Amino acid sequence: MLKITNLNAWYGEAQVLKQVNVSVDQGDVVVMLGPNGHGKTTLLKAICGLVEKTDGDIVYQGSSINGLATEKLVNMGVAYIAENRELFPYMTVLENLKLGAYAKAARPYEKENLEKIFELFPRLKERRSQMASTMSGGEAKMLAVARGLMSNAQFLCIDEPSLGLQPSLRMELFSTISEINRQGKTIFLVEQNIPHISDLADKIYVMEEGRISFEGSSEDALGNEHLKEIFLGM
Amino acid sequence: MFSEDTILLFYEITDVIIAGLSTGSVYALMAVGMTLVYGVTKAFNFAYGDFFNMGGYLAWMIMFGLGLEFGGYPLVMILVLPILFIVGYALEKLLVAPLRKREDWENKVMMMTLGLALFLTSLYMVVFGVRMKSLPPILEGTLEVGQLVFAYQDIMIFVMSISSILALGWVLNNTRVGLAVRAVAQNPVGATIVGIPKEKIFATTFAISTVMVGFGGILLSQKWFINPNSGGIIMVKAWVVTALGGMGSIRGGLFAAFIIGMLEAFVGWFFGMSYSMIALFGLLLATLVFRPQGLMGKGE
Repeated sequence: MLKITNLNAWYGEAQVLKQVNVSVDQGDVVVMLGPNGHGKTTLLKAICGLVEKTDGDIVYQGSSINGLATEKLVNMGVAYIAENRELFPYMTVLENLKLGAYAKAARPYEKENLEKIFELFPRLKERRSQMASTMSGGEAKMLAVARGLMSNAQFLCIDEPSLGLQPSLRMELFSTISEINRQGKTIFLVEQNIPHISDLADKIYVMEEGRISFEGSSEDALGNEHLKEIFLGM
Repeated sequence: MFSEDTILLFYEITDVIIAGLSTGSVYALMAVGMTLVYGVTKAFNFAYGDFFNMGGYLAWMIMFGLGLEFGGYPLVMILVLPILFIVGYALEKLLVAPLRKREDWENKVMMMTLGLALFLTSLYMVVFGVRMKSLPPILEGTLEVGQLVFAYQDIMIFVMSISSILALGWVLNNTRVGLAVRAVAQNPVGATIVGIPKEKIFATTFAISTVMVGFGGILLSQKWFINPNSGGIIMVKAWVVTALGGMGSIRGGLFAAFIIGMLEAFVGWFFGMSYSMIALFGLLLATLVFRPQGLMGKGE
């Protein structure tokens, strides 16, 4: 579904991504792990058209998307769910969700998707008239994921959904993500640590200093001595 | 029961209040337009007052320059408001949008719009001459309630500016474009993520604010004169209202507009018109010293 070949990306003069190769198959959950500040978020942003300077190839469903504007990508079914959520603070939950369906491609499915989302996140249904800025961290994360789904996206790029969440909420969110995956969405997820995601992932990548340092299954990752060292300090 | 003098004073004060309300309502319209563009694009538009004059001049041109006076104000509105929208949209795309890609673009936009203000002022002088123009009242006659006399013109100005503010509010809250405008103002990154074409929203917002201030120009030029050089002072007034209300707070701007409309009317009546500007800026300075975020600003 998505194939990235020799991708480089820069912030100003600093090169953040170096010759990155990643491929994500349709229907999979692929997880990108790695320490903080090593380029994981930049990779997601580069896919979603949010990094200005990149070179290399990003092919999504057979067409090259590198350099396309975010609004075009949203229409093609790619959604970015930011780590810091990027909600609209002085709007209600419902308004945030409606804006999630702003893209032309999403409009015909707005009602249908809203119903599905309220089934998936009953708490958002309860709080649909609440201001986004007054929600707790966990609810805001759910809203960010839900807003991404409203775009009718087939490919979801989710940046560190578990960051800052207490364990019970984290479990809840991951089980929802896995439910979303069962409903047919392909998911590319960035996380800092292995334990939460090993059940979920069909494939794991590890990024260190802007390069891919590992590619394999969850089992391979859990058995890998180098990864144990960087993630578990063992 | 009351002496003749007291009753006369009462009528006079009523007149002043009505003048303050009708001017204040147009200030509110202008402040809402300015707040909107500042809130969404975070850039200051120095040519704002010259768009006010553009509204006045275009109305004058249609009525007297082109001899379409028979169409009255309905024809003026039908023609001028879309022209203002197109001019605003085009100017944003041509002059402001290219700057936004550069570093320190806020300052560059200020310089650019300052240049545009001077350009428009000179253009008006060449095209329309330095002599002031005036527009006829939108509605002649008076409404008499007992001894009180209300000019229909004042009532119309008040009703039209308030209804256009309400209409804008409705659009912002109930339409897809309105929702997108608010989204860009609240979180430009979030807006990009959901696929809102930010550049288009910037231009649309600029165009809407041009329409609002130009509409204000059509309304207030009936009471004032259209003067090619007045753009600067009008921009400053709109800015005072906006800053007093708290940059970016629409409710604050509305509130401030009526305070300033009333202040101007009362100071002008009591001390003479030349004192009203002193009072206006005195009030702004005092407010900013004691409440730097403005009356209803959110602060830092």
